Amino acid sequence: MLPEPLEPPAMRRAEFPIRLRVDVVVASSQAGRLARGYGLDRKRAAELSIVVSELASNIVKHGVLGEIVLTLHSPRGEITVEARDVGPPIRDLEVAMTDGCDDQGPIDPALILGRGGLGTGLGAVARFADRVEYREEREGKTITAWFLPQRRRSPAAAFRD
Amino acid sequence: MDQTDSTHVKVTSQRLQSVIEALSYASVDEFDSCLELLQRSTEKDEFSELETAFVIFVSELGAAKAELNRALAQQEAINRELEAKLETIEMQQAAIRELSTPIIEVWAGVLCLPVVGVVDSQRSAEMTETLLETIVAKQARMAIVDITGIDVMDTKTADHFIKMARAVRLLGAECIVSGINPGIAQTLTHIGVDLTGVRTLRSLRDALQLYLRETEQLVVQQHATIARSKVPEV
Repeated sequence: MLPEPLEPPAMRRAEFPIRLRVDVVVASSQAGRLARGYGLDRKRAAELSIVVSELASNIVKHGVLGEIVLTLHSPRGEITVEARDVGPPIRDLEVAMTDGCDDQGPIDPALILGRGGLGTGLGAVARFADRVEYREEREGKTITAWFLPQRRRSPAAAFRD
Repeated sequence: MDQTDSTHVKVTSQRLQSVIEALSYASVDEFDSCLELLQRSTEKDEFSELETAFVIFVSELGAAKAELNRALAQQEAINRELEAKLETIEMQQAAIRELSTPIIEVWAGVLCLPVVGVVDSQRSAEMTETLLETIVAKQARMAIVDITGIDVMDTKTADHFIKMARAVRLLGAECIVSGINPGIAQTLTHIGVDLTGVRTLRSLRDALQLYLRETEQLVVQQHATIARSKVPEV
């Protein structure tokens, strides 16, 4: 007799409204905790926390008002972090993704202090996430960062376990 | 119906039954059905006065009961709201604890910056700013940045941390980074940052011990100078 197929777990989802600086920290720490529950290991969950933090910081800085949506997609177990906001679109994505730049180009090193950021946020998102999508909508924009359940591991990580 | 007899009132059992039924409705909070039954009779006699009295009594009871239920529902809503607020406050307090990076003067001239939680590019920039300003304000000679509580850091953020340590040196103080975990150590060597001029120690304790050892020599020298200048009291 064949074993009963496992019921795929229902899609799980959490939303965090983002407006103030404190919302960034709430979203980041809660999302990290949830991601552990969704099956990410400690290190990967910490990376997801940083991604949420960077995206949410950007919402507070440029997006006016928005939300972070964390979703576990069954049955494969991918996790997405969606950052939606109603702010203006990113002028030049290519430039904005470059470390040390905002969407208008390189940031003057003299202005880094007091700017509240290094201009490396989107770069960090791209480094930690398995895939990043950017979409402009009728009102605002959405950045989606994907975390796949089994990421290709570095030999060092394999050695450690 | 005979209404002349002053000691007896004759009532058809149907009317009596109807009043009993009405009151049983009232006993289970069906006030509308109760009132409807009580007001059905059109006769005007002594018994109808009793019915009228019941109507007043029951309608007041009904109103009081409705008022009570409204108040209870309102109270419940307030309680729920309060609970939600408390939950939010709890979450925010946890968040604030993680967000705030206190700078503690652990010893005269020694600042300690324990970093916990998530460090993103914005927070790392803010920390640098606060640390550099505090070093100048407190005329500190040493700053210990303890990152024991940090699991993961982006390469650029890690790079910025090392730059912060250099900036501290430029201000004439020494910067020690303590509690670097294996993951971050890999990140730092991976991006090939230049670590010259940045002292790293295993723990906050090691960093403090180092400072004490170094100042001890200074203190011994000072004592020697003082001893030469005056006779010590016994």
